[in-house]
Amino acid sequence: MVIAPALFEEANRTRAFTVAIMRGLAARGVASALPDLPGTNDSLLPTERARLADWRAAFAASVGGRRAVGFALRGGALLDGEADLIARCHFSPVSGAALVRDLKRTRLLDAREGGEPLAPDTLLPPGSPVELAGNHLSRALLAELEAVEPATANRVARLDGDARPCDRSFPGRALWRATRR
Amino acid sequence: MIFEGTDQVRDAVRHVLGDVLGIPAERAAAFNDATPLFGTLPELDSMAVAGVLTEIEDRLGITIEDDEVDGDMMETFGSLVDFVARKALG
Repeated sequence: MVIAPALFEEANRTRAFTVAIMRGLAARGVASALPDLPGTNDSLLPTERARLADWRAAFAASVGGRRAVGFALRGGALLDGEADLIARCHFSPVSGAALVRDLKRTRLLDAREGGEPLAPDTLLPPGSPVELAGNHLSRALLAELEAVEPATANRVARLDGDARPCDRSFPGRALWRATRR
Repeated sequence: MIFEGTDQVRDAVRHVLGDVLGIPAERAAAFNDATPLFGTLPELDSMAVAGVLTEIEDRLGITIEDDEVDGDMMETFGSLVDFVARKALG
């Protein structure tokens, strides 16, 4: 199984969950891989040079010719469309537009609490990278994300109480959301 | 549309608050229209507000404009449900 991780801050919040899934798979004799996308984690590319097409191509390349099932979490579901997979499984897939809206909204609410304000047109390409929720991102990447939807999946799972269509739902907290307790 | 009435919207908003903020189901089930949220519910800081609103948008298929987001809208569980119901039910 090749895993397309959640994106941005959601990747950090779901890292332990993703690794727990991989350990669970290993205990059942299923090999899995969690590639670092260009510009994330140990990738040598600066985050601000990350582009959607490169992420999608990199994910497809990490699958290569293996007979693999894809598992995508959240925004990872935007990345597996070009990969040659036996099947696609999505967990709580999200549109790129919703991801970008969440990043922008976090920044706007932060500005109300004394953070640096954000003019709406500073997000449009061309121009220098923008800092959103702790990541320096290219405006081109944001524009690309706003236009992309998850690929059609063989299986979609969501949390209980999520009214959008899915094949299975599970009880639990939205681990990709910020909470301070 | 999957949402046919305010009761369904209320259930959906209750689920989102529970899921996003990690509020136990029995506590979320006890929310009524007068239950205060923003400024009272300790889990609901500004980062969490962004998450709640985006999750509501996703699940109910609505769009909330940034200039609509203010303290009044999230003052109580009832005010949030009313706001979302106006959007979702048209």
